[in-house]
Amino acid sequence: MSKGNSKLSLTLLAIGFVFLYAPILSLIIYSFNESRLVTVWAGFSLKWYGELFADSQIMSAAWVSIQIAFMTASLAVVLGTMAGLVMTRMRRFPGKTLFGGLITAPLVMPEVIIGLSILLLFVSLGDVIGIGSRRGMTTILIAHVTFCMAYVTVVVSSRLSEMDRSLEEAAMDLGANRVKVFFVITLPIIAPALISGWLLAFTLSLDDLVIASFVSGPSSTTLPMKVFSSVRLGVSPKINALATLMILVVSIGAVVAWWLMSRDEKRRQRDMQMALQKGD
Amino acid sequence: MSSEQQPSSAGSAAPRQEMLGAENYVQLVDIRKEYDGFVAVDEVNLAIRKGEIFALLGASGCGKSTLLRVLAGFEQPTRGEVKVDGQRMNGQPPYRRPINMMFQSYALFPHMSVEQNVAFGLKQDGMPAAQIKQKVDEMLGLVQMGAYAKRRPHQLSGGQQQRVALARSLAKGPKLLLLDEPMGALDKKLRSQMQLELVNIIERLGVTCAMVTHDQEEAMTMAHRIAIMDAGKIRQVGTPDEIYEQPNSRFTAGFIGQVNLFEGKIEDDEKDYISIRSPDLPAPLYVGHGVTGYEGMEVALAVRPEKILISKDEPEQPHNKAQGVIEEIAYLGSHSVYHVRLPSGKRVLANMTNVRRWASESFTWNDQAWLSWGDQSGVVLTS
Amino acid sequence: MNAVIGWLRQRLPGPRWLVIGVPFLWMLLFFAVPFAIALKISFSQALIAMPPYSPIVEWNDTALTLKLSFNNYLYLIRDNVYVSAYLSSLGIAVVSTAICLLIGYPMAYAIARMSPANRNICLMLVILPSWTSFLIRIYAWVGILKNNGLINNMLMGIGLIDEPLQILHTPLAVYVGIVYAYLPFMILPLYANLVKLDHRLLEAAYDLGAKPWQAFIKITLPLSRAGIIAGSMLVLIPVVGEFVIPEMLGGPDTLMIGKVLWGEFFNNRDWPVASAVAIVMLALLLIPIMIFHHHQSKELESKLS
Repeated sequence: MSKGNSKLSLTLLAIGFVFLYAPILSLIIYSFNESRLVTVWAGFSLKWYGELFADSQIMSAAWVSIQIAFMTASLAVVLGTMAGLVMTRMRRFPGKTLFGGLITAPLVMPEVIIGLSILLLFVSLGDVIGIGSRRGMTTILIAHVTFCMAYVTVVVSSRLSEMDRSLEEAAMDLGANRVKVFFVITLPIIAPALISGWLLAFTLSLDDLVIASFVSGPSSTTLPMKVFSSVRLGVSPKINALATLMILVVSIGAVVAWWLMSRDEKRRQRDMQMALQKGD
Repeated sequence: MSSEQQPSSAGSAAPRQEMLGAENYVQLVDIRKEYDGFVAVDEVNLAIRKGEIFALLGASGCGKSTLLRVLAGFEQPTRGEVKVDGQRMNGQPPYRRPINMMFQSYALFPHMSVEQNVAFGLKQDGMPAAQIKQKVDEMLGLVQMGAYAKRRPHQLSGGQQQRVALARSLAKGPKLLLLDEPMGALDKKLRSQMQLELVNIIERLGVTCAMVTHDQEEAMTMAHRIAIMDAGKIRQVGTPDEIYEQPNSRFTAGFIGQVNLFEGKIEDDEKDYISIRSPDLPAPLYVGHGVTGYEGMEVALAVRPEKILISKDEPEQPHNKAQGVIEEIAYLGSHSVYHVRLPSGKRVLANMTNVRRWASESFTWNDQAWLSWGDQSGVVLTS
Repeated sequence: MNAVIGWLRQRLPGPRWLVIGVPFLWMLLFFAVPFAIALKISFSQALIAMPPYSPIVEWNDTALTLKLSFNNYLYLIRDNVYVSAYLSSLGIAVVSTAICLLIGYPMAYAIARMSPANRNICLMLVILPSWTSFLIRIYAWVGILKNNGLINNMLMGIGLIDEPLQILHTPLAVYVGIVYAYLPFMILPLYANLVKLDHRLLEAAYDLGAKPWQAFIKITLPLSRAGIIAGSMLVLIPVVGEFVIPEMLGGPDTLMIGKVLWGEFFNNRDWPVASAVAIVMLALLLIPIMIFHHHQSKELESKLS
């Protein structure tokens, strides 16, 4: 229930939101600016969007990034779900503490360390078995899965630990073995967590500059790498247009997710009300 | 050992026990369960008869739930053997045991309809679809939930959910049905109604049932026999009236209902009576049957509050009486509980049924009152 | 035939070991082993070759020689740049964590005290920016802070200043960028903690005569300790190694170790020194990482039981 807020704390909250959103808003506004100078308003125009889509380098980098992000998210969800099961459903085994440490460390580990050390691994593997010397999408994919998996594990473990264990026990009691219980009972129930874990891994992968810079080869440039090299040369309204498109996609996704969730919640409450009234 | 504590209840039990079958249908032999050095279940021996409703009663943490989970197969006992219908269950995973459980939270699968929930176990057995349909209809009819087959669990009230959970756990025709705190998730009003309904359904199917509860009223209403558990051990096994009227120890006497315990020594040990001298009251305590004991033995006499008569005038009997001051009166509607302080300092509880709306002989605080009880009203406890 | 299947079934890992083994091996191979390799390479010497470092184990005809070189570490100590980069990274991380806490706590507190419907909207508003590109959000600040950027234009427009203030490429810009980018990571764990706070505890404190600020200091603050620790670690540790923000918003004099490492690796191509920089950074962060891990596993355990 609402405990109420003082005017002061609401004001602080509002200022905080202004801080969070003002830069994003300025990006959007200037993406429609006619002038190349970001700071001077010279009238509404969509020409930067045109230039963005005409820029084949940015477009192909975006395609590379989307492919990697899609595969990263899918693989990270599979591995992260397994790790979540290990963290929440398995009795102690030798190495469980190490396992937990390996899973949580990437959440906070500075990206430069992850990027450098995994590159060194690929180079060493290249020495030994001859892969890795061809660095490219595969190496970026492996590096991204490694750090995205940790986030998926956190999301999935949190859902698994809240789930009523007796549901799984009941299924087992009724004759389903462990593997079947997982696919028929556990998986459908934690599905929303898997979806949000997938989306989280997708955006993390799409967003990563540092790790990809270390492990990418000359042939694979991701979108953040392209953006980074172009903004280093100075502010470009094309990037504003790109940013606006990304913000648009994310916001639509968020609003749809929120609408679905609140509709679900409302229906659930109505059902419960109904059940209570009819209850014997 | 607990097997010795089992009373020969062939004659004394309730009439419904006549239909009970094989003595050792479900057997727990020397079951012990330890977790990291903590003993949750300690050398438990139990035998449940075919068709019987058997309750494990105890406070939380007494090991009753662990015992149920050992039966279901969710826990493997550290030692001991579980047998159902002559088959050894040890090492069998839950999904291969002919045992089904109704969970405290009901554990209805939220993403499946009522129908699919009940069909779940049958599907695992690979039963043909047409047969499953027929069986599900039959089970839902049994629990009067046929009209709700297409609903999701969250669209049902608590009582309805329980019926579905029961139908689901009975659908496979288990040799043993386990109930984990069956009324735990229901509100009080619904409980007494569902208790009787549950017993009716279980008895109609003749399924053997072991339940776990911390609620003595529930155990006494539903079960044919009750095992009282404490600190991982079985303290007493018996029918509800045996447990209440013939407790075998100070612990069970105090655990079920309220009791007055008079500690003392046997003064006279005869074949057909004994008398006990207790420092709690001046008159001797007289029990109208013999016990296996000896003169000078330390015993306790347990007398239930409703067996104690309270009066203004001194009773004529020479024993089993005491005078005291009424310190507290708790009016509970159907009866009142009087707390009487004896000169020795001992506090005795006595119940009086409120037969009339205004009793002619009424007591109030600080009144002197006499307490007395009959020769057969008390139980002598040696442990 | 059956004997073979039975033997296989005993020898092959069951589903349980498969579920443990696959993610475990993945993390060992791609997360733990790389650190070991970085450690190894930090003891070798730079070469102009591919890979650009000398092997530390060598076969010389008949003898196996181990050549450990501590030069890289000595170099880190001797050259002032590295020591001051570590110190200033830590300093910047600590200060920006504190600022994040100061801004984030009131926000998390206000959100936690809202009605559930408003709560979800506000929470979404906090998370939403971090779902858009990190790089682009930092880039947005370039446009705001630079000499002919929004802030300077505005200040000159209202006549408060005549000449543009140098904000971009100063430490101030780095702080703004870090706080902006990492604020959600502070707010979320704080919110998750504060929303669980039993409001009746505060009512009990008021009932016993505490003023609201006293109740806040004596009840709310101590009970939200876990959230404060989690949020602070989520900000502090990655900020120490931050590269993008000092690179884009900081000046040449803004020393941060992430930037130094990047330079050693990409510009100087000195992999052994870069490895040594990473290993020392990891050693510095080991304690905060362990605090964070300890806290995470405690949280999960409390949920499980």
